[in-house]
Amino acid sequence: MPVAVRIPTVFRKFTSGESQVQVDPGTIGDLIGQLDNRYPGFKRQVLTDDGSLHRFVNVYVNDEDIRYIERLDTRATEGDTVSLLPSVAGGSDRLDDRGH
Amino acid sequence: MSDEFRISSELAEEMVQHCIEGRPNEACGMLGIKDGTVVKIFRMTNALRSPVRYRLDSTEQLAVHNTLYSEGWDWAAFHSHTHTEAYPSPTDIREKRDDVPYVIVSLATDPPEIRAFRIEKEDWAGDEGVVQEIPVTILP
Repeated sequence: MPVAVRIPTVFRKFTSGESQVQVDPGTIGDLIGQLDNRYPGFKRQVLTDDGSLHRFVNVYVNDEDIRYIERLDTRATEGDTVSLLPSVAGGSDRLDDRGH
Repeated sequence: MSDEFRISSELAEEMVQHCIEGRPNEACGMLGIKDGTVVKIFRMTNALRSPVRYRLDSTEQLAVHNTLYSEGWDWAAFHSHTHTEAYPSPTDIREKRDDVPYVIVSLATDPPEIRAFRIEKEDWAGDEGVVQEIPVTILP
């Protein structure tokens, strides 16, 4: 049984519009490699040049954020669901309204 | 969703209340949207606990996405500006990553102001973006 990977809208242009794809079990690093083989350029969307996870991409195995477990070494086994989500962040960066 | 943003006065009040309760920090959350109208406010934790920055708690974010997925709802993000206007800051533009409306609640005015925007980026991971306002309709 493969691992299901849920693809967020922002990455679907790299997966021919697919919202969910199947990959073989392995570490998250392995899974990203499989996706990059199938969809060239995918890895660059998710990983930095030094091979770590972009700070604005969240990856989960089932309900767990891999940043709080073993990051890219976290394993996804048969029947697991891996979800990718862009982080949602920002802020005013100021406590006054001068400058507008 | 189409580029209009409708929310009932009751749900708008709930969103504003979450922002007021979050002070002095910025507050944030997600909005479940059906047919262009907000149907649910997801009050969420600002993982940065900051008066000038926010990031949705990532575990809560997945849980809300699972609900959106099972309900078939669209979504938007919201956050507060505690002392500045309801308009995307350079940080909001730089940190914008997903292709959804971003709603800003300004607590600098009384009553608080609610405005909605799309931030278009050529490169989703890049810093530059173009802000386009989405008209907000508050339903009775």
